[in-house]
Amino acid sequence: MTLTLDILLSGLVLGGMYALIALGLTLQYGIARIINLSYGEFLIAAAFGALFLYTGMAVNPILGMIVVVPAAFVSNWLLYQVVLMPLVRRAKNQGMLEVDSILGTFGVLFVIQGVMLVTFGGSLQSYSYLSVPVYILGTTLALNRILALVFALIIGGVLYLFLTRTRYGTALRAVAVNPAAAQLTGIDIRAASALAFATGGAIVGAGGVLISMFLTFSAAMGVVFTMKALIVVIMGGIGNMLGALIAGVLLGISETAVARLVDPGLTIAVTYALFLGVLLWRPTGLFGRPAR
Amino acid sequence: MSPRSIGLAGAVLVAVAAAAALPLVGSGYHLALGISLLYFSVLATAWALFSGPTNLVSLATAAFFGIGAYTTAVLTELLPWPVVLAASAVVGIVVALIVGLSTLRLSGMYFVIFSFGLAELIRQVVTWYEVNIHGSVGRYIFADTTTEGIYWRLMILLAMALGAGWLIRRSRLGLAVRVIGQDEVVARHVGIDTTRAKLALFAVSAGFMTVTGAVMAPRWTYLDPAIAFNPVISFEVVIMALFGGAGSLFGPLLGAVPLVLLFDVLGAYFPTYFSVILGLVFVFIVYGLPHGVIGLLESKVAALRRASLETGMSAFAERVTGPVWSRAAAHEPATDAPVLELIDARKSFGGLKAVDGVSFTLNRGEILGLIGPNGSGKTTALNLISGAIPADAGDIRLDGKAIEALPPHRIAQRGVARTFQLVRVLPASTCLENVIAGLAFHAPPLWGEPADEKARALIARVGLAGREGMPAGQLTYIDQKRLELARALALDPHVLLLDEWLAGLNPSELQDGIALVKMLRQEGLTIIIVEHVMDAIRSLCDRCVVMNTGRKIAEGPPAAVLADPEVIRAYLGDADA
Repeated sequence: MTLTLDILLSGLVLGGMYALIALGLTLQYGIARIINLSYGEFLIAAAFGALFLYTGMAVNPILGMIVVVPAAFVSNWLLYQVVLMPLVRRAKNQGMLEVDSILGTFGVLFVIQGVMLVTFGGSLQSYSYLSVPVYILGTTLALNRILALVFALIIGGVLYLFLTRTRYGTALRAVAVNPAAAQLTGIDIRAASALAFATGGAIVGAGGVLISMFLTFSAAMGVVFTMKALIVVIMGGIGNMLGALIAGVLLGISETAVARLVDPGLTIAVTYALFLGVLLWRPTGLFGRPAR
Repeated sequence: MSPRSIGLAGAVLVAVAAAAALPLVGSGYHLALGISLLYFSVLATAWALFSGPTNLVSLATAAFFGIGAYTTAVLTELLPWPVVLAASAVVGIVVALIVGLSTLRLSGMYFVIFSFGLAELIRQVVTWYEVNIHGSVGRYIFADTTTEGIYWRLMILLAMALGAGWLIRRSRLGLAVRVIGQDEVVARHVGIDTTRAKLALFAVSAGFMTVTGAVMAPRWTYLDPAIAFNPVISFEVVIMALFGGAGSLFGPLLGAVPLVLLFDVLGAYFPTYFSVILGLVFVFIVYGLPHGVIGLLESKVAALRRASLETGMSAFAERVTGPVWSRAAAHEPATDAPVLELIDARKSFGGLKAVDGVSFTLNRGEILGLIGPNGSGKTTALNLISGAIPADAGDIRLDGKAIEALPPHRIAQRGVARTFQLVRVLPASTCLENVIAGLAFHAPPLWGEPADEKARALIARVGLAGREGMPAGQLTYIDQKRLELARALALDPHVLLLDEWLAGLNPSELQDGIALVKMLRQEGLTIIIVEHVMDAIRSLCDRCVVMNTGRKIAEGPPAAVLADPEVIRAYLGDADA
């Protein structure tokens, strides 16, 4: 019983993180139409940023987000404007942009990863911040995990309000639904795409800081997060926030269960088994609408 | 053979002999470099075999390479070499089929994302197996082979990969994936079983990658999952193929040679910055050389450009590759039943009832006009007939047999051909290839000389003679429509569906178009036209079915239905009725 609860709670925290980073990726893919294979590298870079601020300058990670998140926003905005814009201009249709963006960001992935390897080395990193146990319903959970989940919920909530209650958010949703028609209503789709891409980057930056509070990480781990974020997005149905949330939590709990009960080395296998299961059952994702 | 091609063949022969002799004269370093060149050449060629024409970027090379290496590690002491290699090919192909079956029938994105994690997935599973069942992470390989042996085996493998590529490009399978890469909807509507075609090619490509891994395994005397499933291999292979040009047979080879040398230098002098430089090279190639070195040469040299557009058809190649993937489609004999019947067909999109219980019959040899105001469900009705979208309910019968549950390629093979409201040609293919795409996949398929002749005749028939070798993307709008019609006629259809084929033509083009459709009917073709051009409807149609908001509101001769008050109301509103 305790084990079950333990798995559920840890899985919920991990799943919350997956859902959060999947939200950022949905913005990049659903609005800017970029499949960003270097996405996870920004998560790891942010984690290193938090590590550096905490161990080097004694700034706690939550405060550290004030620095890291804007930095992630700006660097992703630049990535879109400088590196990806030529591809966007060149693409004759969405299919071409998808292929080009996969290839382009695949290169960027290796550049960022290489820089991090040179700077920080390849070893596993972690730091201890608020790792005090909290007793919940007879089981324990570290305070840093609870804090991470709370912040993930806050960020997700703010994003939801931004997208549904503001003019900019409405513009972004319009571009997601139909870029050509959005243009006709006076929305600058390039600017909107850049904004969405940068916001996605900021979210993954925040996710990186939160994850670094309770998980060990290394310079080579970005790819794994990219993979999981992509899979959560697809499982939830592209562009569907609620779907991403549920798929993320589902993934977090199943992964934790397998890690505890079978072998921690099999987490990707679980991810993929789940992915395949969902695809075979519902090819457009849990909440995706069938293509017309 | 012309003297020039004899000279070329001689040069190739000398080069191959020189390459084969390298182990006898070169140093150990040369041999090692030669092996790197060869195995990356095989991997890049195999990668481009699938990803080149389909545009589906596979990031799974390392997965198959690693599977091959592991097969050798496990089996080498139990079985002789040829059996080990054959076994590795089988394992690789089986894995490719499983991955392909679950992802290739869906949109391309799923495949790319799945391939992205495949190496990591298999690495985890193998690691788990080795630790928990085998008892140690790594394995020592004591294969009974020499470095020279590996080199020569890789040479043979490269020759086989190039040979397979050569055969596939000249067979229907090659055409099928070229069509799929350009427009999958068109592919299905000319009768291509797109999933099978992609699956077959992916399996062949994966088979080569796996065997490469199996051949290479003895190079490492000690193998563990991290070595075998090194993701950098996937990455390097993609760069090499793209650098050379993934669209052509020898492009990947052209990319592999300089980049293997470059990476060798980089690895020796800048080991710490290797990955950064690799990434920058990649980004540069994606921006600077979107079609690779070969593409650059083609854009500069007219002769090369012509050669790249010309596609050879070889009956021999088809005999070799055809049985691998294609199923003979049964040719349906004509019957006495009405050609086509719709009985209470329905289709909704969310709350919108696009086709709401429509029934009509199409008699042999007639032209039926399917008309109605915009948004009345005409195109959706055509989509139901051609199988582009499945009906929610109702029966659709072709020659008395139910087709409503069939996928579009099967319906196309049974004799339903169509054009599209927004014209769809294969822009990068020549006009000739566009029409051959219509000939090559119906029952019985045409290939080689007969296909060439028939395609030229059809092109002449729609008034495009002399433009056989022009890329279809360069045709004007009206000529693209003609070409699309030629492709539909190539299917030798029982029923031809023309979706606003006459829209957007000027008055004289319209007269030509009407004359052409009339001629088709005189030859006994049965046609449904969806049209807004009333002149065309009056002069062409034997009967009309009028739709409004998803329902059939009138049926009969054109003059009668166009005078029907309800039809007038549907088009013009109450005031004019």
